[in-house]
Amino acid sequence: MSDKLLKIEDLVVHYITDDGVVEAVNGVNIGVDRGKTLGLVGETGAGKTTTALSIMRLIPHPPGKIVSGSIELEGTDLLSLKESRLEKIRGDVVSMIFQDPMTALNPVITVGDQIAEAIMIHQKVGQSKAAQKAREMLEIVGIPGNRAGEYPHQFSGGMKQRVVIAIALSCNPKLLIADEPTTALDVTIQAQVLELMKNLKDKFQMGMVLITHDLGVVAEVCDDVAIMYAGRIVEQGTLEEVFNTVKHPYTEGLFNSIPNIDDRRDKLKPIRGLMSDPYNLPKGCSFYDRCDYAMPVCETQKPPKIHFGETHFVECHLYQEQQDFKLNGGKE
Amino acid sequence: MTRYILRRIFMMIPVMLGVTLLVFFIISLTPGDAASMILGQEATEESIQELREEMGLNDPTAVQYVRYMGGLFQGDMGRSYATGKTVSSEIAQRFPNTFVLTVSAIFLSVLISIPIGVVSATKQYSIFDNVGMIIALVGISMPSFWTGLLLIIAFSLTLGWFPSGGMEGFISLILPAFTLAIASTASITRTTRSSMLEVIRQDYINTAKAKGVSKNVVIRKHALKNALIPAITVIGLEFGILLGGAVLTETVFSWPGIGRLMVESIQRKDTPMVLGSVIVFALAFSVVNLIIDILYAFIDPRIKSNYS
Repeated sequence: MSDKLLKIEDLVVHYITDDGVVEAVNGVNIGVDRGKTLGLVGETGAGKTTTALSIMRLIPHPPGKIVSGSIELEGTDLLSLKESRLEKIRGDVVSMIFQDPMTALNPVITVGDQIAEAIMIHQKVGQSKAAQKAREMLEIVGIPGNRAGEYPHQFSGGMKQRVVIAIALSCNPKLLIADEPTTALDVTIQAQVLELMKNLKDKFQMGMVLITHDLGVVAEVCDDVAIMYAGRIVEQGTLEEVFNTVKHPYTEGLFNSIPNIDDRRDKLKPIRGLMSDPYNLPKGCSFYDRCDYAMPVCETQKPPKIHFGETHFVECHLYQEQQDFKLNGGKE
Repeated sequence: MTRYILRRIFMMIPVMLGVTLLVFFIISLTPGDAASMILGQEATEESIQELREEMGLNDPTAVQYVRYMGGLFQGDMGRSYATGKTVSSEIAQRFPNTFVLTVSAIFLSVLISIPIGVVSATKQYSIFDNVGMIIALVGISMPSFWTGLLLIIAFSLTLGWFPSGGMEGFISLILPAFTLAIASTASITRTTRSSMLEVIRQDYINTAKAKGVSKNVVIRKHALKNALIPAITVIGLEFGILLGGAVLTETVFSWPGIGRLMVESIQRKDTPMVLGSVIVFALAFSVVNLIIDILYAFIDPRIKSNYS
């Protein structure tokens, strides 16, 4: 049996609007092994959330449309499933944590009931049994079980995110998709929630897709990293490979955008410019106009996929001629 | 919760005072003299003056107002200038008719509008949605007296299914109730649709879907309760408009309610009767809004917790 829990191949997702077609995801290939965590990193608008929602089959339609590709969860092709089958999978086999805990909970339903709902749907248990399990879940995420009867507005942001996590984990999913779970939280709370997620991931033996733009979070939690830019994975590898031997200029740019605490005279070097207009992606490499290493070929031709070892690859023209090309670390 | 309700009841007092004050002075500004109207055209100037003095009409308006309010607090709304009966007995006789009419109208419109609004929102831009919204727009645009006349022409004069007026049993309720319901159905439908559209784009709807909750349950359980909060506000306001509409509808359908009583009293310059009817209308409107506010607290725990 393959160890692959999730396998996405050549996923293409478009949003068809009155103003044109937004090419949000353009051929994404990622995989998550059982019990492993994949970090999906990229700036706002890179297509991370769209990829995540595709796995849940929750792309708002219209305007969103999965154009082509395949998403396999434990060998089952999710894209061909009927809605009724998907409902059985959602919340049971695969769960999702959304970005903003302030809006992710229904304001007129008690948190206990919101957790119990998933349990009742998937585990076919009665109301009192589900309510009891819901209280246990609250305890697991560090909230006293007797607060199950309270409403979301009675909880703080960090507590709400704990509740959201409790909902997502209530049926022991095999895959958890966490869409920037800590972005909306205070730094101190962020660390707590991350720690909690890491522990629970081990406890429940889950695979996880962690979407973030924070490389610090990735270093903390992930086994593998996929760097996403303008709807494509531009570099992917294990945590060590990507962090120690950065290959793609965009990945390098991300690292250079992190302040260096040891050398405060060291200038921050943000990536210049903005992400390409998704209504009108460039013909060649999408990162072309922001790249310090850009060559004429980058403007006209899509970059090739170049492998370094079994797990590490990059999509960039730089390595086509000379595999041992070295990025200069962004120093002039 | 009790404190919240008591507070809301307490807030009704200034509203009622304001209403009586306004109406009393507006009526006093209208031309025409109650005494000469009571005595008829044959009356002598002397007898009119005598009656004016007796009724206290020669006193300043402010004095008359205070005297009226004094009576009102003791439950005395005065006597009708036209019939001589007490206002309260007249209203007690008429009010149930108006109550039945407006309540059936509001029930009718809620029954129709909430489902249509919900379906329209979940199938946005579908044929159902487009047709529904066009009908709603037409419904809003039609004044109720005109709708009433059209319904009479169609269903009583041409088809002969319903009586064109009067109050003989349930069957004569149908046309006026429908007439009243049409305009409010339209606006409640539109409000339900738009608040539903807003709610189904919320993150917590995605959370619910991600839990594996089926589409219908998401709508019924997670979306509707949230979407009802704005809809209920509009239902309360529509009730006020309904009461206003009842004045016209009751006249069109010769329905013996307070609305018609008020119109007749205004024509006769029957001040105590007009005041009495307006106060009952204002009171009814305030009570409905009180009920709405209490309903809010039951639907939205955030409001409830503010007062507990």
